[in-house]
Amino acid sequence: MHSDKQDALCTTFLEVVEHLTFMFGEIVSKQEMPLGGRDFTLARMSFAGDLAGRLAVAVPADIKGEIAANILGLDPDDLQCRTMMDDALAEMLNVVCGHVIMALAGAEADFKLVTPETLDLAAENVASMVASDDFVGFMLDDNPVFLGLSLED
Amino acid sequence: MAFNILIVDDSATVRAVISKALKLAEVPINELYQAGNGREALDALQKDWIDLVFCDISMPVMDGEQLVEAMKANGMIETIPVVIVSSAGSEPRVARLKENGVRDYIQKPFTPERIREVVDQVMGAVGHA
Repeated sequence: MHSDKQDALCTTFLEVVEHLTFMFGEIVSKQEMPLGGRDFTLARMSFAGDLAGRLAVAVPADIKGEIAANILGLDPDDLQCRTMMDDALAEMLNVVCGHVIMALAGAEADFKLVTPETLDLAAENVASMVASDDFVGFMLDDNPVFLGLSLED
Repeated sequence: MAFNILIVDDSATVRAVISKALKLAEVPINELYQAGNGREALDALQKDWIDLVFCDISMPVMDGEQLVEAMKANGMIETIPVVIVSSAGSEPRVARLKENGVRDYIQKPFTPERIREVVDQVMGAVGHA
């Protein structure tokens, strides 16, 4: 990924996630990230228009409750958080995606977002997926998180 | 006066967050209705008395732009104010929506204060505040 685009992607991701979930992060080399055998959940979506492509975020499955709780303003043990964890992660990606597109293509860019979907990733499948150059690594409140962007030509 | 408000979003998380923001912002609410897409919203608008609609853009079945167009084509519901709440609000799309009668646009993520500001502005403009 071109470094200007990667800078815009990373900055936008960290700003939006901080506003939405009150979780703080930093970019980290993927090689230095401790996966620790944790299972992950991947949220992914596509977008079309002046800028077209796919965006995905992978987070450890055990922090989805915290993400949902922070977005909803509830206790992580609240039943509503437990039932809406995947939906909350998908919504986080949705908000990040809108902001990333405008950061890359400008506020005048016309685009459509396709509803995100989530899927569970077993620990052994995480490393190979995020090894792609499309993925950037972050530590978000000391948890490994991966963000992947693929743009159509 | 308390309002009947319809929240339209395919994400249950967003519907819950908007509901909570309305309460935190102390917006006077009589009844909160929810719909998961534009089609469900149209059903609610034709069945219930709604004062204000908060609506996402990107949704399955019927998206926010299609809902606004369908409302505009139906004399019974065309004057109900619609506020778009989305992260996909590029300038041309927001301009297009406002040309079709959308009253305001709220960018996600948002604060309860922003919700209150828009409710005051929109409902004041139609004489309910």
